Amino acid sequence: MSRFIRKMSRRAIVQALIALPALSLFRNQPAVADPDEIVEINGWILRRSDLA
Amino acid sequence: MIFDSYQAYKQAGFKPKACILGSGPAGTTIARKLGAAGIPVVVLEAGSREFSDESQDFYRGRTVGDFYFDLDITRLRFMGGSSNHWAGWCRVLDSQDFEPKAWAPDTGWPISRADIEPYLPEVHDILELPDFRPDVPVSDDIRWVQLIKSPAVRFGEKFADELDKSKNIAVVLNTYATELTGDGKRVTGAKLWSNGQDAGTFAADYFVTCTGGLENSRLLLWSNQRSNGGVVPNSAALGRYWMEHPTFQGGNAILANYSEFEVDASNEAFFSPTLAAMERLRIMNFGIRLIESPYPNVKKLIADLACTAPNMAEWMSSQLDQRLHCAAQLYVAWEQAPLASNQIELSKADVDHAGVPRIELHWKKSPLERRTLLEGLKLFGTTMAQKNLGRVRIDDWISNGGDYPTNEETAGHHHMGGTRMGTDVLKSVVDANCKVHGMDNLYVGGSSVFCTSGQCNPTTTITALACRLGEHLGKVIVV
Ligand SMILES: Cc1cc2nc3c(=O)[nH]c(=O)nc-3n(C[C@H](O)[C@H](O)[C@H](O)COP(=O)(O)OP(=O)(O)OC[C@H]3O[C@@H](n4cnc5c(N)ncnc54)[C@H](O)[C@@H]3O)c2cc1C
Repeated sequence: MSRFIRKMSRRAIVQALIALPALSLFRNQPAVADPDEIVEINGWILRRSDLA
Repeated sequence: MIFDSYQAYKQAGFKPKACILGSGPAGTTIARKLGAAGIPVVVLEAGSREFSDESQDFYRGRTVGDFYFDLDITRLRFMGGSSNHWAGWCRVLDSQDFEPKAWAPDTGWPISRADIEPYLPEVHDILELPDFRPDVPVSDDIRWVQLIKSPAVRFGEKFADELDKSKNIAVVLNTYATELTGDGKRVTGAKLWSNGQDAGTFAADYFVTCTGGLENSRLLLWSNQRSNGGVVPNSAALGRYWMEHPTFQGGNAILANYSEFEVDASNEAFFSPTLAAMERLRIMNFGIRLIESPYPNVKKLIADLACTAPNMAEWMSSQLDQRLHCAAQLYVAWEQAPLASNQIELSKADVDHAGVPRIELHWKKSPLERRTLLEGLKLFGTTMAQKNLGRVRIDDWISNGGDYPTNEETAGHHHMGGTRMGTDVLKSVVDANCKVHGMDNLYVGGSSVFCTSGQCNPTTTITALACRLGEHLGKVIVV
């Protein structure tokens, strides 16, 4: 266990775990957007579907 | 016949009808056409058979504005001219390059590509070119174009024997035409400098200046100044609208399929925009050189892609495996917007050994070109992504509006404009036949007559225009 996690309270860890699925849901939301849409990120010219 | 000095030539008693100044691709091609038509022609060449520091020194000059090559480095002053070190990359200007573009002022030629097409078979012989394949559309916006890497014909070497044996052509080396004299209707003679001294005045019925894309303007500006407008009576555009092909590395790409585009022996493929795309984005023409090569930064490139596009990076890494050459570097060369302020002037401070003012070249890239660079790369990147051919990354300095780097290719050594072709005497110097407006017997050969530069290397078009001018003069000159 890293020093960082050892320092965290048990309650905080549980809260983080609960939040995880919500976060990934949040992250997947752009999937509703057109996957072929062209986006520019950090100089890259990409399709939206390239993004995780 | 080839003479090593003007003095030797004078003793031969040759009586030419026409005088060509300069023995580069333009001058040599026109001379061969006239010789073949039975017209006696003399070619005065400032340099000798070989490179020399003394001759090259006459080409020194100064550039004001953007960073550019030293003017005595970017061209060669001896028999065959700059063909002695050109790279031999060939392509003819596209038909769209000859058309006016509503979004770019002072574009459009008084001739079309159809006017030079009849000469292309001859050009292929001269430059030893195979046929060009037609452009391949990659999308509605981007064409995969061909640029032939030819054997880089050295005109001085290739044609030396033929010129030496010719009864109609006399090439006179070490003979610098310092000035043309004229009366506002005709050129009356050329003042010569040979073997380090004044060599008198030379007369002929017709004169054709083929001294290169910088030197044509210098010679005519100086001649016109000395003759009070007697050589270029309509001189508003003289020296102006000078153009190059700025060239910089623009980014990188990761290709989905290594064999999608057939590359040449140097692993290079070339892409240009369609006219519709240029029109929609209001940009100039450009050429993207994609170099497929294994290079050390490819791993970093993929790692970088992984941060922004993990899905794509994961797929790429599986595709790439060890085939790291699926990465590519992108170089962009583009067409400059013709601007009157980009111009060749005569130096007020510095003269060469013969007393002729050296060149002061005023050259700046414009905001329209900056947009062409950025939008061009975006256009290419978008096509690559949409068609799933790969992914493009644009270099930061371009995306962020940074300064042009000074340690890169910079430009193509392509010197265009200065005596451009046109119908408006305020914006051009020669007419559609390359004859100086208002003059009966003065013509110009070479890329100084280009109205616009397109995106491709100029010498194939120079040679085609030279064949056309040679044929025209063959009809005009009465023996
Ligand atoms: C490094 C380099 C690479 C290049 N690569 C390519 C390429 O891959 N593809 C391409 O299309 N183009 C390329 N070019 C450009 C190409 O070399 C020129 O477009 C071409 O040589 C121009 O031909 P020209 O006859 O108009 O002029 P030049 O070749 O410049 O010839 C002019 C001649 O006139 C002579 N002269 C000059 N002043 C006088 C005077 N006052 N009196 C008498 N004689 C005079 C000179 O000595 C010279 O022999 C390259 C140029 C360089 C420098």
